[in-house]
Amino acid sequence: MKLPGKLLSKALLSSFLALLVAVYLGAAETASQAVKIKIDTILASNQSGEFDSRLKPLEKQLKVLKYKSYRLLKEESQNVASQGNGSFQIPGGRTLIVSPQDFHDQQIALKVRLQGNEKPLLDTTLKLQNKGNFILGGPPHEGGVLVLAIWATLQ
Amino acid sequence: MELSDWELVQKCQLGEMGAFQELVSRYHQKVYIVVLGLLRNRDDAMEVAQETFFRAYRKIKSFEGGSSFYTWLYRIAVNIAIDTQRRQKRNLLDYRDNMDEVFEEQQEVAKDPFSDVHEKELREKLLSAINDLTPEHKAVIVLRTLEGLSYKDIGDILGCSEGTVMSRLHYARKKLQEKLRAYL
Amino acid sequence: MKSCDEIRKCLGAWVDGELGRDEADAVRSHVEACPACSEERRQLDRLNVSIKSVLAPQRPMAFEPFWRGVERRINEKNSWRDEWMDRLRGAFGRPNLAWSIPAVIGLALVLYSLRFWKEPTPRNNFAAVESIDAYGRNVALLRENETRTTVIWLYQNQEGDDETSGETSEQSPTF
Repeated sequence: MKLPGKLLSKALLSSFLALLVAVYLGAAETASQAVKIKIDTILASNQSGEFDSRLKPLEKQLKVLKYKSYRLLKEESQNVASQGNGSFQIPGGRTLIVSPQDFHDQQIALKVRLQGNEKPLLDTTLKLQNKGNFILGGPPHEGGVLVLAIWATLQ
Repeated sequence: MELSDWELVQKCQLGEMGAFQELVSRYHQKVYIVVLGLLRNRDDAMEVAQETFFRAYRKIKSFEGGSSFYTWLYRIAVNIAIDTQRRQKRNLLDYRDNMDEVFEEQQEVAKDPFSDVHEKELREKLLSAINDLTPEHKAVIVLRTLEGLSYKDIGDILGCSEGTVMSRLHYARKKLQEKLRAYL
Repeated sequence: MKSCDEIRKCLGAWVDGELGRDEADAVRSHVEACPACSEERRQLDRLNVSIKSVLAPQRPMAFEPFWRGVERRINEKNSWRDEWMDRLRGAFGRPNLAWSIPAVIGLALVLYSLRFWKEPTPRNNFAAVESIDAYGRNVALLRENETRTTVIWLYQNQEGDDETSGETSEQSPTF
């Protein structure tokens, strides 16, 4: 006859394992070779007072820019290999190129270029927290400005 | 006076290596026979048999005497052997080489009752038919036929009911009979 | 009275001595009276003898070399991984519905809940900007504490000669 203690210990062990699996699935600290880059392309303007409900998670961050309206134009994600280049088409004939460099201490080093039709507009190198984001904005578009919210998540 | 298995286990649990050696001495042949019956390869069977006792040594403190020591030991052996069978993807050629190896050993050592051609064909076909069984069906055949274990003990070893043991044995024997009808 | 099919289903168990007394008596009576089932029993006996003959090794195995192999394994250092594998095997070795079902349900619930788990922005969301080259254009770098947002803002040239599409914008953000 099995003692209750054995049953309890087995149940505890299985729950612990379930928790470990959940943490593992949520965690991203692994030796990985790819970074998921997500770009939200947003049109910010003062032409109306509308706030696109799809941008709710970004609301506080976008309000920093103090525009009256924000509209999500496009959402795109790519898995980009370390040292590789992820290329994202931006309205107005522009291209955003993101290149993950390395990963250390929960920080992802990125090289980012905003490319115009013929010439680069901006190059930046930065370190972003894993699953973190930053905002790159300014290029004019349709009476407003383009705002790019850029996330990087280690895969 | 010879100590019982349980008394030896209790000594092992207190760290007496001599007691464990005695247990190995008692059961190494039986474990090897069962594992060889499942794997049909001497080297693999030796590896698995030694691994069985090694794991038994590591787990000896968790043995509480709920079952007999030998069913607990066979359970470890059969599980390792079944895992080994599943992992190994022996092609037919490898299997035939192994069969010939064991077959020749049995020919040269003892007076071979299967002396005529008909009987030799029976052995070859029987080995092939046994190998075609799933690991679980092979296990019941080996444990019952080689070791003469009861259905209850086989069920304890394989983690199934006596009814399941009975139906697996029936199925396995039926399959073997179908393939060997002409020879039996 | 049992049919031949029913008898053959338990013939093996009868030969193995695993039937209860009444059932065993019934099978024995049938087999003694039925030539077909009697032949079936003979074949089963022959099969058992053959299996034993082909599977059993003829040479007994020497103990000393075997024991040396076991001893060698015992004396080799156990890694912590082996210890954990042993514990896992102990916990999962024998299927036990009493704990496996709640464990599976719990695991399924946890995995399902991950769908709704919004990955929050990390506490320290500030980006460490190491370099910016705006190719002669004005650029601003802003770090906003409350929302921990890093903003890189590219200003349009005063001449409005952003080469993209001639678009102009009179709007600049007021940070």
